[in-house]
Amino acid sequence: MSAEVEGTPVQSPAPIVEPHENNHRWKLLSKMSGNPVVLKELRGRMRGRQAFVLLTLYLGLISLFIGVIYAVMVRQSSYVGWDPSFRQEVGKAVFGSVVLLEFLMLGFIGPGLTSGAVSGERERQTFDLLRTTLLSARSFVLGKLGASFTYLFLLILTAVPIQSLAFLLGGVGLGEMLVSSLMLVVTALFLCALGLFFSSVMKRTLAATLSSYGAILLSIVLIVITFLLITYFNSEISDSEKTKAYLLTLLAWFFISSNPFLAAVASEIFLVEDQSLFLIKIPLLGSSSTEITLPSPWIIYVIFFVIFTLTLIYLSIRRVSRADR
Amino acid sequence: MSTIINIQDLSKQFAKRVAVDRVNLTVQSGEIFGLVGPNGAGKTTTMRMLVTLLQPDHGEIVVGGHSVRKAPHEVRRLIGFMPDSFGVYGNMTVHEYLDFFGACYHIRPVERKRLIQDLLELVDIGHRRDDMVDTLSTGLKQRLGLARVLIHDPGILVLDEPASGLDPRARVEIRELLLEIARLGKTIIFSSHILADVAELCTRVAIMENGKVVAVGSLDQLSEQAVPHRLLQVRFLPTFDLQAAQSLLLAQPSISAVRFDEANGKSNWVSMQLEFIGDDISLQKLLSDVISHGMPIIHFSEATQNLEEVFMRTTQGIVS
Repeated sequence: MSAEVEGTPVQSPAPIVEPHENNHRWKLLSKMSGNPVVLKELRGRMRGRQAFVLLTLYLGLISLFIGVIYAVMVRQSSYVGWDPSFRQEVGKAVFGSVVLLEFLMLGFIGPGLTSGAVSGERERQTFDLLRTTLLSARSFVLGKLGASFTYLFLLILTAVPIQSLAFLLGGVGLGEMLVSSLMLVVTALFLCALGLFFSSVMKRTLAATLSSYGAILLSIVLIVITFLLITYFNSEISDSEKTKAYLLTLLAWFFISSNPFLAAVASEIFLVEDQSLFLIKIPLLGSSSTEITLPSPWIIYVIFFVIFTLTLIYLSIRRVSRADR
Repeated sequence: MSTIINIQDLSKQFAKRVAVDRVNLTVQSGEIFGLVGPNGAGKTTTMRMLVTLLQPDHGEIVVGGHSVRKAPHEVRRLIGFMPDSFGVYGNMTVHEYLDFFGACYHIRPVERKRLIQDLLELVDIGHRRDDMVDTLSTGLKQRLGLARVLIHDPGILVLDEPASGLDPRARVEIRELLLEIARLGKTIIFSSHILADVAELCTRVAIMENGKVVAVGSLDQLSEQAVPHRLLQVRFLPTFDLQAAQSLLLAQPSISAVRFDEANGKSNWVSMQLEFIGDDISLQKLLSDVISHGMPIIHFSEATQNLEEVFMRTTQGIVS
C-alpha cells in the first residue's frame, strides 16, 4: 500500500545509550531499578501525606482488630483456663485474623492503586508525551505495576511484625507464615495487574476503578454460586458415577483454591490434619471410602493467580502499545 | 538544505470522516515550517502521524530517512513533540520532570544533569529548577514543555499550537525562544491559529483545509498565488477633493480598485488603498502622474500582503 519515499538519512543526535547491553545477569534488575516510571511513581506516591496516612490506617486497623480478638479470647480464658492448647488457639486466631484482614484490605487498596495508571495519564494529557519517547509499552506497564506492587509489598511487610505476635502465643509454624506471605504477595500482584488491565482498556479512571472492584465482586459471587451448584450435584451423585464424582471433586477443589480466604483456611485445616504443606488427601464427592491426593489449595492458588496475572500484564502491554492506532 | 521530512500521499480516516486526504509535503532541514488552517483542517492529525502517535491509513512519511511505519523508534529519536494541550506532572519539581523524560530517552544520568542545566538556561527557567511544576504559570509551563522536547537533542521539533492560551508577553517570548532554537540548527514544524506568529517565524507555510493541503510555499509565493494585484497604501491632505482623487486614480490603467479607509476622526489626512497591477516602472509613473495633477500626497507605500489575507482568499471555510 505505502509508497517508498526517499529522505535524507539522519543519525540520532541524542546521547542515547541502551542500558547494560552486555551484562545479562543484571539485565532484569537494572530494567526494574532503571525504569524511570517506577522512580517517578514511587517518588510521587511517597511525597505526599497520603501514603503514610494509608499505611498508618492499615496498621492501626489490623492492630485494633487483633486487640479485640485477643481481648475476647482472654475474657473467654477466665472460663476455660489459660492452658497451652488454648494459648495456641489464641495464636492461630490472631494469625488467621491478620492474614484474612490483609487479604480484605489488599482487595480494597490494590486495584485503587493501579486503576488510574494508564487512564490517569490519558486524563492528565501526559500519555502522548510518554508515547513519543523511547519508553516501550512494556517498560511503561511494568513500571506502573512495579511501583504499585512495591507499595503493597510495603504494606504486607509492615504487617509481618504484627503477624509474628502469633509466635509468642504458639500454634503457628514458619511454614504457615511463609505460605500466607506468598499468597498475600501473589494476591497483591494480581490485584495490581487487574487494576492496570482495566486502566489500559477504559478511557476514564472512574470506569476503570469501578470495573476492577466489580470484577472482584463478580468473581466472589460466581465462586459462591458454583459452590452451591457443586453441593447440589454432590447429593445427586450415585456410587456408579465415578467420572462425574472426580470431575466435581476437582472442580470444587479448584474453586476452593481460587478464593484467597477459602484457599488459606483450607490449606491451614489440611496442614493441621494431614501435617503436609504440599499434598493432601480428600474424600471423593459422593463417596466416603475413596480418597484422592491433590496439591494443597495454596499451591493451586499461587499457580493460577501467577498465570492470570501474567496474562493480564500481557494484555495491558498489548493495549498500551496499540493505543489510538 | 536537504529534505528531512517527506510526506507522500498521506491519508487518515476516522469512521466515515476523512481527516487527512492525500497530503504531500516536504520539509527542508533547518526550516521553520508553518501549518495553518481552520479547526478540523487536519493539521493535528497530520502532526500526530508524523510523530508516530497515529498510524496512517495510506501513504508514507519519511523522517531523516526513517519510515514512521517501519522504524517508529528511530523517528522518535529524531523528533521532539509538543501537543496543543499537554499535561504536566504537578507533583514533581522542574528538574525531576526533565530528568524523568531524559530517562525515558535512555540518556545517562550524568549526561542528563548537564543537559537539564543547559536547557533550563536556554528556556530561562533555571531559577525555578527546584519548584514544583504545579506552581509554574502557563507561560513557564510552555517553556518547560519546550525544554522537554529538547531533552534528547532532536533535530526536528513538532509543535502543535505552542502559543495557544498564552498572554501577549509570553507569546512574544515563546516566539523569540523558537527563533533562538531555530538558530541552533533545528527544524521546526508548528501549527498556529495566530497567523501573525506564523508569518513572522516561518520560512514556508502550508495552508490546510478539509484534510487537504490547498497551498504551500513561502509567504511571498503564497501571496502571488492568492492575490494577483499589488496593494498600495496612499495618504493625502484633505485639501484635495475626495471625488476628484477617486476619479483621477481610477483613470489610471494600472489601478483596478480604490478603497477609502474609514476616518477615525483623529487624523488630518485621508487614507486609501489601491489595487495596482504592474511593475515598478508603472508604479513610479503612477506616483509622478498623481503628483503632477496636484494631489497633496504625504504617504505612498506598498503594503506587504499579510498571511491573513492570503489565508482568507485561499480557504473557503470548509470543515471536514
